[in-house]
Amino acid sequence: MPDRRIQIRSSLVLTIGLLLLTAIAVPQQALAVPSYARQTGLACEACHTVFPQLTPFGRVFKASGYTLFNTRKVQDIDQQKHSTLSLSDLPPISAMVMASTSISARANDSTSSKTSTDFPQQLSLFYAGHISDNVGAFIQITYDDQSGSIGIDNTDIRFADIAVVDGHDVIYGVSLNNNPTVQDLWNSTPAWGQPFISSPAMQGPAGGPQIEGAMAQNVAGLSAYALIDESVYAEVGVYRSALQGASVANNGGANNQIISGVAPYWRVAYEKDWGKNSWEFGALGLYAALQNPTTPAGAAINGSLQNAPTDRFLDTGLDTQYQYIDDANQITVTSSWVHEDQTLNASYGAGFASTNSDSFDTFSLNGSWFWHREVGGSLGFTSVSSSNDPIYFGTPQGSSNSSWGTAEVDYLPWLNVKLGLQYTAFFKFNGAASNYDGAGRKASDNNMLYAYVWFAY
Amino acid sequence: MRIVFVAAMAIIACAASPLAMAEETKTVVPAEAISEATSVCQDCHGPQGNSVSATFPRLNGQQADYLALQLKNFRDQKRSDPHARAYMWGMAAQLDDVTIGGLANYYADQKPTQPQTGGALAAEGKNIFMDGVDAQNIPACQACHGDHGEGNGVIPRIAGQHATYLKSQLEAFRSTLRESDVMHANTKDMTDSQIEALVSYLAND
Repeated sequence: MPDRRIQIRSSLVLTIGLLLLTAIAVPQQALAVPSYARQTGLACEACHTVFPQLTPFGRVFKASGYTLFNTRKVQDIDQQKHSTLSLSDLPPISAMVMASTSISARANDSTSSKTSTDFPQQLSLFYAGHISDNVGAFIQITYDDQSGSIGIDNTDIRFADIAVVDGHDVIYGVSLNNNPTVQDLWNSTPAWGQPFISSPAMQGPAGGPQIEGAMAQNVAGLSAYALIDESVYAEVGVYRSALQGASVANNGGANNQIISGVAPYWRVAYEKDWGKNSWEFGALGLYAALQNPTTPAGAAINGSLQNAPTDRFLDTGLDTQYQYIDDANQITVTSSWVHEDQTLNASYGAGFASTNSDSFDTFSLNGSWFWHREVGGSLGFTSVSSSNDPIYFGTPQGSSNSSWGTAEVDYLPWLNVKLGLQYTAFFKFNGAASNYDGAGRKASDNNMLYAYVWFAY
Repeated sequence: MRIVFVAAMAIIACAASPLAMAEETKTVVPAEAISEATSVCQDCHGPQGNSVSATFPRLNGQQADYLALQLKNFRDQKRSDPHARAYMWGMAAQLDDVTIGGLANYYADQKPTQPQTGGALAAEGKNIFMDGVDAQNIPACQACHGDHGEGNGVIPRIAGQHATYLKSQLEAFRSTLRESDVMHANTKDMTDSQIEALVSYLAND
């Protein structure tokens, strides 16, 4: 890399970084990269176009259980020469910092400020890498400034291996994870979809499909998967409630959103790679019967977890992702659609819904382009629509119908440091473009300008 | 089972006989040790070196001397095109010469992928491959790479390679992104359409 570019980058980082948050010490050299890179000896660009978006090889690395390894280890074998210990001589630990400042078009209420500065917005530690020859992990522990506490974040622990079956390469494995789709390989599904970062002060529509983060960190899922010829992917699994800060086994009636039995999850996808292009089409689904549900309006049932009625959610989604990657240009376009059928026997019975049958649909289309993995940006559009149920959704207009667009420009002085400026414009919010709350507030009052710095090392 | 890369290298090194070490690219190492080492390589280059992704070259049937030379160049950071830096500098960093010899022989012994050729573009490519283009000082590729693109010694097999990989390497030689005085001289006047034709004749994708 030419020295001049580094010098230019350094000065820009200093300027922009000071403008963003003077307290942040921006690294002056890319001397450190996260633990996967340290473990493999591969540069970030092997697995990422621009983090956190994965390249085709990044998907293979993930499917292979994060186990690709190329550094010294402590190890042992038994009498049959089978490996009994395979430890990295350095633990695969990484850290990540997000810090930001936000300005909304209008304060959320008469007592709040239009602006918010978050330092750190999020501070995470990862165990990310090899555990044994066929087992690897992505375990994230996060301090979140909104909760002011430290807790478990996205986690995916895998066993994986590869076999040749009838001439086909088959990567197969098992994932133990805590968020449906966190184990997925593409950026067109909820856990790793756009926007990758947004303002903590951002208003969101009432409710959302279960598969889009509603269960995150409060479930344990076990799924089996296979990736054939780096092209055909299939996965089936089940999720059970695994609450943080509470136990279903003790004082269960005080807990909400408890999965009755198990929630099945399924996923199929097909990716075609040609030249510098790749295109994926996929489908996914989740079914969950929830005991002691909480409605989007905030009404909660706190009853027995034994033989009580449930609210049942059947999510079905389609997704697609196109990528073009060469040394100069990195383009990713993703789109997804999720439909949720809601059978609200518990909420309707408790008077928390005006019908026992509601529905939810979300659609998103996002595109990003980066030049030399250094400068770039993204455009996105998201639409949410629900059935009309003022009691259940708790909105004056009766629905969650919302739509918004997001534009972002990014600068990466190094592959592990991202500076971003994002603007989100709402066209409709909870059922209306204007007076959506019955008190004169417009959807566009929620528009948000958001500047952030995000780095991992 | 995937085994420690470094450990595998050590096993290969220990298993090699003094006689074999004297002739490094002919080193005979236990199949078990090779299997352990290639379990790392196959994450990108596929089982037996027959990669699925065109980002990574096929190694099956590649010339052993070429493979050994490239691995040493990666290890010693003498080959510095972007993909070499991003992928192979790290992966080759801990290889010793004996291991490199064992890996090179293993992949050279695998059945090569044959070209999948045909059509007018491939016919144009065949002409370039067999006869060169005198007006542009493009020599016949077959003079060095063999009548069937099979390579010879440190001259690589190019037949049956991924089209995208072949194309990117020809472009890299042309621009000097991948440094080779010989290949830069051979490709500097090559047009994009001639590269497309040549790749169409040689590749299998």
